[in-house]
Amino acid sequence: MKTLELGYIHINDIIIGSESKVENGVLYVDEAAVKALVLEDEFLKDVHFDVAKPGESTRITPVKDVIEPRVKVEGPGGVFPGMVNKVEAVGEGKTNVLKGMAVVTAGKIVGFQEGVIDMSGPGADYTPFSKTINFVMVCEPADSLLATDPEATLPIDNEKKPEYERAVRMAGLKVAAYLGELAKNVTPDETEVFSTPNLKEGMELYPDLPRVVYVAMLQTQGLLHDTYVYGVDAKRTLSTMMWPTEIMDGAIVSGNCVSACDKNPTYIHENNPVVHELFKQHGKTINFVGVIITNENVYLADKQRSSDWAAKLCELLGVDGAIVTQEGFGNPDTDLIMNTKKIELKGVKTAIVTDEYAGQDGKSQSLADADPLADAVVTGGNANQVIILPKMDKVIGMLDYVDVIAGGHAGSLREDGTIEAEIQVITSATNEMGFNKLSAR
Amino acid sequence: MDFIIITNNPRVRDEYGAKYCVLYQECSFDEILYAVRDKIHKGHKLLTHPLSGSVKPNETPYKSIMISAERGAMDNDSVILIEDAINMATSGKFEKYRQRQATLNQRILADFQMIDFFLITSGIESAQTGLMV
Repeated sequence: MKTLELGYIHINDIIIGSESKVENGVLYVDEAAVKALVLEDEFLKDVHFDVAKPGESTRITPVKDVIEPRVKVEGPGGVFPGMVNKVEAVGEGKTNVLKGMAVVTAGKIVGFQEGVIDMSGPGADYTPFSKTINFVMVCEPADSLLATDPEATLPIDNEKKPEYERAVRMAGLKVAAYLGELAKNVTPDETEVFSTPNLKEGMELYPDLPRVVYVAMLQTQGLLHDTYVYGVDAKRTLSTMMWPTEIMDGAIVSGNCVSACDKNPTYIHENNPVVHELFKQHGKTINFVGVIITNENVYLADKQRSSDWAAKLCELLGVDGAIVTQEGFGNPDTDLIMNTKKIELKGVKTAIVTDEYAGQDGKSQSLADADPLADAVVTGGNANQVIILPKMDKVIGMLDYVDVIAGGHAGSLREDGTIEAEIQVITSATNEMGFNKLSAR
Repeated sequence: MDFIIITNNPRVRDEYGAKYCVLYQECSFDEILYAVRDKIHKGHKLLTHPLSGSVKPNETPYKSIMISAERGAMDNDSVILIEDAINMATSGKFEKYRQRQATLNQRILADFQMIDFFLITSGIESAQTGLMV
């Protein structure tokens, strides 16, 4: 039996000042200390911190990743293994979580695909991160990353964008781990226990319950489209298995810059809603067997191999059902359908969680691929839905990319400061793990 | 695996043109799909997925697709994939992106070239790991 206890410490405020601590639900951040931590990276020149609270007239953009600070209190390993801690296996013991807040990284990485978080107004309803108190870091690239060619059209040298992405990704994880560490000796406000039996124990405990596995597809199409598992670029792995609680300790982190609405930020991996819901039903209506992770590649032979392996693992485990989630649109839809079809052909019932690009009127075909065997789908909403975002009093980050973030279109940033765009510009609006509230029946 | 890259991305032409077999043409996203379809009809196999990343068809003007250098009998899976991609790209759903292309500045164009370049690079890495598809 693999057991992890999560201790939730509710954060009601964040104060940036001269000391770091968690006290009475307030997170105090020593600005100089976190700045020094971030600037350890030679590829970052400067960093600016700000706090955005629910209800404020604040817009954060371009958002790269959102991370929930956590810390190991008991048990092996440290959070974000292979990234900021040793690669030792995690997922058991006790972990403290700073609840109600998030670390948000912002910076110009890929002009057209970073997201928007509005803390109030109609846009706030479409992002889960308008409800968290956000510690925002805007990271500035070092001069060595800047384009040297006077004729260059980009502020950052194209060759060095992956370096900048890596620097911003690592800065976010380091700061989240630093803030989490402050809560190591704090008594949690509440706790929740997650236990996964091994295969033998599970079959003995729940002989009559259907056995269900979760197949998590990770975005791995190449540079700037990466997901890391224990520090390994998941493109370079075969489909494999994990304890669900490993994910809660940050074993999977986001390194990608795909569309804001349906990318899976690190925060959502940590709080994977499919994992949480399967745990709620575990031992009652189902026997939650574990998590299969598989990747999404551009090369067709890789797709073939990875989906074969995901289906093969389902067969090997002898499960009755599988929940499949994806990340991204278009090319990944092919992996989604390949996985689903092959798993169904092994005699395993599947249900898909995805989002839709069904056109602004919602009438077009939703996915880029389909199959009659993929007949159980939960949607996270239509990313083409149009929204008008009012002007905000404060912008954290920079607005000069809003015109071209996926879903925005020419003239989308109007003179009066409002933005007309599709909800795909909004971070996690149509999250494909079902983390947000949009759906259809 | 010997391969051919069909592209309208100048960056792929400039960086890989001397190293690999790169067929560059100055044309639209859709026309690249049609060019690949014609090659598939002649017996080449599709090696990378015709829709890129999570970038929407026509959101980016650039597209690089890898096909086999070798020709054999027409590959049905390749035909279905390329036809589906053409249907998706020309469905009208992404029409607004096509209109927007004219307004993209150099900085954004360079970003789109970069993403397409990275995606095809990922395909090249995979193609070089084995002999079989």
